[in-house]
Amino acid sequence: MIESRVLKPALALYVVLFLLFLYGPFVVLGILSFQQGPEGGPQFPITQWSIFWYKHILGLAPPSRVSPLPIGISLVRSLTLAGLTMITSTVLGVMAAQAFRRNFRGKAAAFYLIVLGMIVPGVLVGLGSALVATTTGIERHWWSTAFATHVVYTLPFAFLVMLAIFNRFDASVEEASWSLGVPPARTFRKVTFPLIFPGVLSAMLFAFTLSYDEFARTLFSSGREQTLPLAIYATFSVEIHPNVFAFGVLTTLFSFALLAVYAILMSLSVRRAKQVAIQEAIQ
Amino acid sequence: MALYLAETPGIPPAETVDGSVETRTPRRAVSSYLLIAPAVVWMTLFLVIPMAMIVYVSFWTQTTFKIEPILTLDSWETFFSSGTYVNSLWTTLRIWLIVLTATFVFGYPTALFVGLFVKNKTLQTTLLVLCVIPFWTSFLIRVLAWRPMLGKEGAINILLLKAGIVHQPIEALLFTDLSVVIGMTQIYVVFMVGPIAFMLGRIDPNILEAARDLGANFWQILRKIIFPLSLPGVVVGAMFVSVMVLGEFATSAALSGRKVNLLGNIIVTQVGSLKWALASVVGVILTIIMGLVIAGLLRIVDLKQEL
Repeated sequence: MIESRVLKPALALYVVLFLLFLYGPFVVLGILSFQQGPEGGPQFPITQWSIFWYKHILGLAPPSRVSPLPIGISLVRSLTLAGLTMITSTVLGVMAAQAFRRNFRGKAAAFYLIVLGMIVPGVLVGLGSALVATTTGIERHWWSTAFATHVVYTLPFAFLVMLAIFNRFDASVEEASWSLGVPPARTFRKVTFPLIFPGVLSAMLFAFTLSYDEFARTLFSSGREQTLPLAIYATFSVEIHPNVFAFGVLTTLFSFALLAVYAILMSLSVRRAKQVAIQEAIQ
Repeated sequence: MALYLAETPGIPPAETVDGSVETRTPRRAVSSYLLIAPAVVWMTLFLVIPMAMIVYVSFWTQTTFKIEPILTLDSWETFFSSGTYVNSLWTTLRIWLIVLTATFVFGYPTALFVGLFVKNKTLQTTLLVLCVIPFWTSFLIRVLAWRPMLGKEGAINILLLKAGIVHQPIEALLFTDLSVVIGMTQIYVVFMVGPIAFMLGRIDPNILEAARDLGANFWQILRKIIFPLSLPGVVVGAMFVSVMVLGEFATSAALSGRKVNLLGNIIVTQVGSLKWALASVVGVILTIIMGLVIAGLLRIVDLKQEL
């Protein structure tokens, strides 16, 4: 296209360097997670390759001066919290987006109010809810106050995803359903929902991963019991050992597993939609 | 249709061709309000009220471990009379400006390549996915990953020493302003690349062809056509990056060895010692900065019109 001969290869090279910049730290982190333990430090050179720190994470290593990360219970808490947040924000997001399909007074105000949740920095939301909790005497827990602030953050994402889906939605299929005498509730279940399901899946994925990794909002609002990001944050203040790196590798693999589940569900729902379409075409 | 609505007010029918007229009927409006109400109530209870509380508490009286609702300006005076706190305000603005510039400078060429030069849709998607994959690692792990990179015995120093570029390890890489800027740039640059690449992808190639046929060289095309058309993307990216960098505290805590104190770090320390009123003052200041930045960015382009 434009001056392609020089510019395009140069930019391509730049993008390779850019990706190297994005991935470099992970590669180093991954290599160092195989440092020999318990003496090898979180630096080069690798004295000897070993999976000691992975065993250490899973509690299989002999006791040493490096205390194990408290991941077991905090992982369960984070997953539970992410699940709760995912369900709540997806339901509220779908409802809000459904309301936005028509005009009503205060629509613009409602839009800005919801989107505000993703604009306000986490540290402020966390501080605010901690203030409300302390002054009113409410106890802070990961499943109460932290959950509320997580939904404040994930709801706008779910809402915007669903808004985009409804924007491209062909409403005539719903009308066809009503004019055939199918009640709206049933129409929503049988016609609308299957059509918007890919969007719902995306909204769920967004909400789950954002909540699972959320840190700034949780720090002030979760009280004593740590979620996973808080457990990692606690290691910041102490000396870093390669067990944190091994843990980083494991969480990344876990995230990919989650992504794979999403991809499978997505392709299944697309395939089913296609099959239905083909059947209808045959009939 | 109205009958069904009476049965299940929660599910409104889709917009009809003359929907704008029908929406004025009270029943339909009621169903819209019922659907939107939970989200609005949630955001009011857990976002608006807490934010209002920050403003309110910033004027409360702070005793050693308690705050009392007796209005005073004490905490505000404490903030502005302390060199440490005022400095953290300037540090925050400085780091924000540097990171914003860095994400733009390093992100724009990538967006240019992905959005404009790659014609193959699959390759385009692959490149964007490659940019997003790091986000599937915990944010804190991503921050922490820079420590073995930048340290005195870190990967970069080892590479530089082996290549003979330097003879002494560079110590300035870790626990300085620079390490914070490097870390934040890597974490947030993708938020700049995405929106810009999106806007660039929408440019009609015929416009660029026409400019070329009329004798414009690439730099002229970039300056006069490509950049102006990508500006909404730049603004959206800048908003993402600004909001996240201004509220940061974890990256600076982990990579500066507590030497770089952002407003966020002050909030964390103050809450840690139960100084709620002062933390609230910092919170209000942060909110004001954020509002000014967003308002300023929105003045550059009319996003509603452009997107």
